[in-house]
Amino acid sequence: MLRNITELYQYRALLWSLTQRELKARYRASVLGFLWTFLNPTLQMLTYGLVFNVLLRQQIRHFLFFQFVGLLPWIFFSASVVAGATAISDRRDLLTKVRFPPQVLPATVVATNLANYLLSLPLMIALGLIYREWPTWHAIAFPIVLLIQVLFTLGLAYVVSAINVAFRDLQHIVSNLVTLWFFLTPVLYEVSTIPEPYRRWIIWLNPMAPLIASYQRLFYHHQLPEIRPLAYVAAVSIALLWLASQVFEQRREEFAELV
Amino acid sequence: MDAIIIDNATKMFRKTTKPKHHSTFKSELVRWVRGERQPLPEMWIEVLRGITLTVRQGTTLGIIGRNGAGKSTLLKMITGIYSPTSGKVTINGRISALLDLGAGFHPDFSGRENILINSIILGMSRAEVRARMPEIIAFSELGDFIDEPVRTYSSGMYMRLAFSVATHVDPDILIIDEILAVGDEHFAHKSRAKMDEFQKNGKTIVLVTHDLGTVERWCEEAIWIDGGTIRLAGEPSRVVREYRTAVMLEEAKGNGAQPPQAIPGVRVRIDRVRLSNAASSQSSRPNVLAPEDPLQVNIDFTSDAQPAMDIGFRIRLSRADGLTIYEASTFAESVALPNPLPARGTLQLQIQRVGLAPGTYLIDARAESRAGQVSELESCGFRVDAPQPDRGIVKLPHQWRVEDPGD
Repeated sequence: MLRNITELYQYRALLWSLTQRELKARYRASVLGFLWTFLNPTLQMLTYGLVFNVLLRQQIRHFLFFQFVGLLPWIFFSASVVAGATAISDRRDLLTKVRFPPQVLPATVVATNLANYLLSLPLMIALGLIYREWPTWHAIAFPIVLLIQVLFTLGLAYVVSAINVAFRDLQHIVSNLVTLWFFLTPVLYEVSTIPEPYRRWIIWLNPMAPLIASYQRLFYHHQLPEIRPLAYVAAVSIALLWLASQVFEQRREEFAELV
Repeated sequence: MDAIIIDNATKMFRKTTKPKHHSTFKSELVRWVRGERQPLPEMWIEVLRGITLTVRQGTTLGIIGRNGAGKSTLLKMITGIYSPTSGKVTINGRISALLDLGAGFHPDFSGRENILINSIILGMSRAEVRARMPEIIAFSELGDFIDEPVRTYSSGMYMRLAFSVATHVDPDILIIDEILAVGDEHFAHKSRAKMDEFQKNGKTIVLVTHDLGTVERWCEEAIWIDGGTIRLAGEPSRVVREYRTAVMLEEAKGNGAQPPQAIPGVRVRIDRVRLSNAASSQSSRPNVLAPEDPLQVNIDFTSDAQPAMDIGFRIRLSRADGLTIYEASTFAESVALPNPLPARGTLQLQIQRVGLAPGTYLIDARAESRAGQVSELESCGFRVDAPQPDRGIVKLPHQWRVEDPGD
């Protein structure tokens, strides 16, 4: 794992350039340009707002803002994992024609989506201001929560990207599982509303649940995140990243031959 | 110092028994659930079978061989794209590979942006790229197009840009796969000059090409790869010559070069074409001659039906690449052959002096009738070796003399 991270640091110029290019390409190709970052989550927010607030009469205060707080990091996570699956298998041109460090590719996907998330934060804050939800000092814990999420996302992206080279149907399985995962994560509802026997399961088996709950505490409940579940997720993330590095190292030799 | 050291490296590729290249996650899962836990039997293809090679720093090495011999796999192993299945590859220095021009170009970005990203992919730092940017742009001769998206480029412009980037990375070792001919005549000259500059600056160059002339003229060493092993290594002219002979002999054996268009009607069949040169200095090696040797061509023939009336013979001498050097026929020269021919016999053709420059040649013979009907073609290859490196096709008898104007 250390080798992986030091190599990633060694190739930071490459990672940085590729990320920059991905971001530029995404915004240049569409007519709306930079607004696209905001449009996608906003449309999702409005859809869920319509369903849960208007049609199902969800009883959460400032529901649009509440779900936006969880939706943005969720999009960061899900987009990274879904795009991460094809990060290596789609780059035949790079892997078979030049000497290219493959671990940069999933990292680029995660970095790109992270940048998107950070760029859409002002929108979330603006929405909060409409509801008179001012950001409080609790937001200082945000970088810690974000770091843990990055580690977890990176680990998962490494695993799926490495396996998808040999098993190409994984990318479809992943995108379906991610949709299912979304509804098992407290983005549109609060952790406290989950009935008890299930709540424990969701918190301990779904590392995304404590993460999203932490964001909600930071920006919506104006509290510091709960330490225990978050520390647990941090441990899980590091273990996953270690495992992912093992899988990746073991398989990287065959990437150039199989893509 | 040695730039590249390859020690008994092999490369095997795995092939699953399934017709499709990738197995699916779903199918593996179904197999596992059914209790078939052992992995599927695997098939391996051995592409390189034990390559040992050392390239000294500053050497230009040419790699030749037929398609599928393993040349490109070897290049990818040197570049580090593939790792050897067994054995060891050691590289000393920064390596830049021109295996495919423009790997990683993004069509929506301008030439300038692609130079930046491509150079970083090839191993330069941002500062280095910035410093060399004007030089790269000037070399590519793209002018104002440099700020247009690459998708609007013609293929020639695209190649020029890619070539400029790849050669300005300033590698210690340059790996080239068949791409010296980039762009028009002018740019091809320029890229050759760039290559010469690399050579002069003491860079190590490894080149795979089918252009044997380039290997002879430009490389200092050559290896010939055949069936995943090094069949011959050494001086380029010798390696190229041996390679040409082998290819030619194989073609002659399989009648690959020119399928004979036999017109039925000639009842005489050529059984074999043999060379004999009793006076040869190298008579221990069959079919290897010196330019000054005499040469006798023996054509064994059989006639199917008697009487074989009005039959002539035609021989043709050609170079390995198919160029006809000389052609002679008994009809044209009004040679008096027995009429009718005997049922079985040998026609002999005496040549006083081989008179050819070193190289590989082919003699073929056929029987023909006066009406233009011909028999099947039979052929025989030979090689001319000489201590002095003559160039060209023929060795003309000659003398050098200085005339002193004072007399």
